[in-house]
Amino acid sequence: MTNLTRRTALTGGLLAMGGTALWTATRPARAQEQPLHPTIEEVMFDLTNPVLGNPEGDVTIVEFFDYQCPYCKANHPVLNGVVKADGNVRLVMKDWPIFGAPSVRAAQLALGAASLDAYQTANNALMATEGRLDVALIEETLAEAGLDVAALDAAYGENRDKWDGLLTRNGAQAAAFQLRGTPAFIIGTVIYPGAMDKAGLENAIAMARG
Amino acid sequence: MTRTLSYPAALRRAIIAPLLADLSLALVAAAALAQSGDVFGRPSPPMDPREAFALAVEPQPDGSRLLRWDVAEGYYLYREYLAAETEDGTSLPLETEPGVTKDDPTFGTVEVYFHDVEARLGVTEGPVRVTYQGCQEDGICYPPVTETLPAIEVAAPQPATEAASAPVESPAAAPPESGITLANEDGLLDGLSARGGPLLVLTGFFSFGLLLAFTPCVFPMFPILAGLLAGQDGTVGARRGALLSGTYVLAMAAAFGLLGLIAAWSGQNLQVALQSPWAVGMVAGVFVALALSMFGLYEMRLPQAWTGRLSGIGASRGGTLGGAAALGFTSALIMGPCVTAPLAGALLYIARTGDAWLGAGALFALGLGQGVPLLIAGTFGARMLPRAGAWMEGVKAAFGVVFLGMAIWLGGRLLPGPATLALWAALLLGAGVFIGGLDRLEPSSGAAPRIRKTAGLAAILAAGVMGLGAAAGAEDPMRPLAGLRPAEAAPGTADNETAFTPVTSVPQLDAALAEADGPSMIYVTADWCVTCKVIERRLWPDPMVREALAGTTLITADLSEFDAEGQALLDHLGSVGPPTMVFLDAESREAPGSRLIGEPGVEEVVASARAIR
Repeated sequence: MTNLTRRTALTGGLLAMGGTALWTATRPARAQEQPLHPTIEEVMFDLTNPVLGNPEGDVTIVEFFDYQCPYCKANHPVLNGVVKADGNVRLVMKDWPIFGAPSVRAAQLALGAASLDAYQTANNALMATEGRLDVALIEETLAEAGLDVAALDAAYGENRDKWDGLLTRNGAQAAAFQLRGTPAFIIGTVIYPGAMDKAGLENAIAMARG
Repeated sequence: MTRTLSYPAALRRAIIAPLLADLSLALVAAAALAQSGDVFGRPSPPMDPREAFALAVEPQPDGSRLLRWDVAEGYYLYREYLAAETEDGTSLPLETEPGVTKDDPTFGTVEVYFHDVEARLGVTEGPVRVTYQGCQEDGICYPPVTETLPAIEVAAPQPATEAASAPVESPAAAPPESGITLANEDGLLDGLSARGGPLLVLTGFFSFGLLLAFTPCVFPMFPILAGLLAGQDGTVGARRGALLSGTYVLAMAAAFGLLGLIAAWSGQNLQVALQSPWAVGMVAGVFVALALSMFGLYEMRLPQAWTGRLSGIGASRGGTLGGAAALGFTSALIMGPCVTAPLAGALLYIARTGDAWLGAGALFALGLGQGVPLLIAGTFGARMLPRAGAWMEGVKAAFGVVFLGMAIWLGGRLLPGPATLALWAALLLGAGVFIGGLDRLEPSSGAAPRIRKTAGLAAILAAGVMGLGAAAGAEDPMRPLAGLRPAEAAPGTADNETAFTPVTSVPQLDAALAEADGPSMIYVTADWCVTCKVIERRLWPDPMVREALAGTTLITADLSEFDAEGQALLDHLGSVGPPTMVFLDAESREAPGSRLIGEPGVEEVVASARAIR
């Protein structure tokens, strides 16, 4: 394995010195770093968040993303391909709008589509856009995908508290995990910051299965 | 390695709360693992955005500001997302230069900066918030980063907020969001290195080690070494003695060097570790064990199994090289508490410059210096010392008392003052009895027994006084009856108590400094820092210290909850851990050479406090 970390080696080094107590003594402090971290249940099985891929899958991929983040979008077909080929993976796309108002708007309309059982369509259409977005471009894209923008907006408005709560939770989780930005993946119990290629995703899934 | 968990739907619903907490912990730990290492050969883990896009601010004479972002290789900033606003949210115009149009299908037309970029911000009153956003190429896109720039000091007087408005000179000296300017030449190692290069650093630390060799912390090494040399039957020649003690000293020095390397490599805070009750308690325990061995309760030597395995190299006579090395290596740990100051100096240097090798080399030299007397004793001692006899037993017993004293001294950092005083009393009582304070003198007794009896009685008397003092709640072994005197004109009544403002994060510190009027002193401390207890008990109530610090804003940087914010605070102050005192003048600049690390004396605190007047 390549992820022999400093931490692991440090433990070894100190043990070799017979200085185990030094190490033990520093550990309680470390554990306090994140007093309130989200649970697996909250991160992977937020009932509000739409689930793509195989909802009964044995591994969950969580992606914190933004509809204007270039690497999230460039990477999306690869991710879809891996999820589909595997067939036993739950895909949870967590909106974390970091690029301002258009990103929030895109997230709202896509989540509205979830009420109309059209989340996958809306999500894929928006992820297939190029570069920066504005509200007109977002609505045009969704309309071209065969969705009724007014209906999406209404559906979002009906459950506004629910969807806004989800976005708030996502942001809080991102902060609790000290995620640097988008994309960020959580696969199994490991956080992978940044874009992942096919091999990376497949390895991570295999690791999550143990 | 990484803990993987699977959770089928049925189990998932059955998971109980405590287990959940545990799972999420594992998640966080795994996250830390994944973020520190690059598992799948993707671009290196993303940097902190404040490092990737380091912002430096140059206030111009006309009151405008020049903002400069130093964009790291492989990262870029969006021109469109550069923004500035006042504290109340009014947008401010920012003059930016044209960027590069990124030619990537996923981008569309976006102007970005791949290299350093400058922007000009017009004349503005009050603090300014600057926002920027960027990405790591082919990696990750950061959320917007906002930094608050302090108000520029203008000729017109601006009361109250001035302390926080010291202009920022360079991002290395002080991060843009804060007003502190740390003294640059405060590091012992820095100074030596600047003056004479690595060689002077190494010789400097070697001499330091020589000085430290005469502190009580090194005493335990002598009996350990003696046990090593004389562990087997027969005498040990000078050459064999030199070889064994040399090995011992080399191993000890290597352990020090390794400590430095591990510290540099892991970023672990060794001073924090050495100050933990665990470490101090453990070392105190070692001293008690040594003392008991001196009293003859048991013989100290390596377990049979070890010696058997290690003795392959040398002859069976007089200890083995492997044993010497193992002993020397572990001995280094016992000396930890004695070398806090030089250790901190070296570790700070390592942290600042990333020059792990020079830092480790300096600690190695320190260890060698400490070992010189041991080497001499090991080489010549075996021949010089007479055969073991009755007097040798006496010397050993004396060592035992010294070791118990060391244990109490260390334990005093953990125990309440009166309890420590009671322990001193018990130690003196025991010593007095064993010297012979209660033995019967015959009329025919000579001078020697009479002197012994006198010394013993004196010790017993002193023990009685201390015991009495301890019962009355006194703490200072030198003034055990201070508690019995009626509170005579207690200088400075309760309301005059040295008042510290506690802070736990950089923003809190900045806020506290902003309120400071005149010089300030930041005292880095923590509940778990045992030396700090001593400082708080001895130094702060001292009248000289109080007088010197009068009029100085006192701030405690409290690291009791040692989290990411605490680490940021340490980094911000350029400190490796408590106890550290940072003295800032009225302009929030650290006075050169005023920083105090470890447990300073009253005079040192007074001198540093004067430096910022």
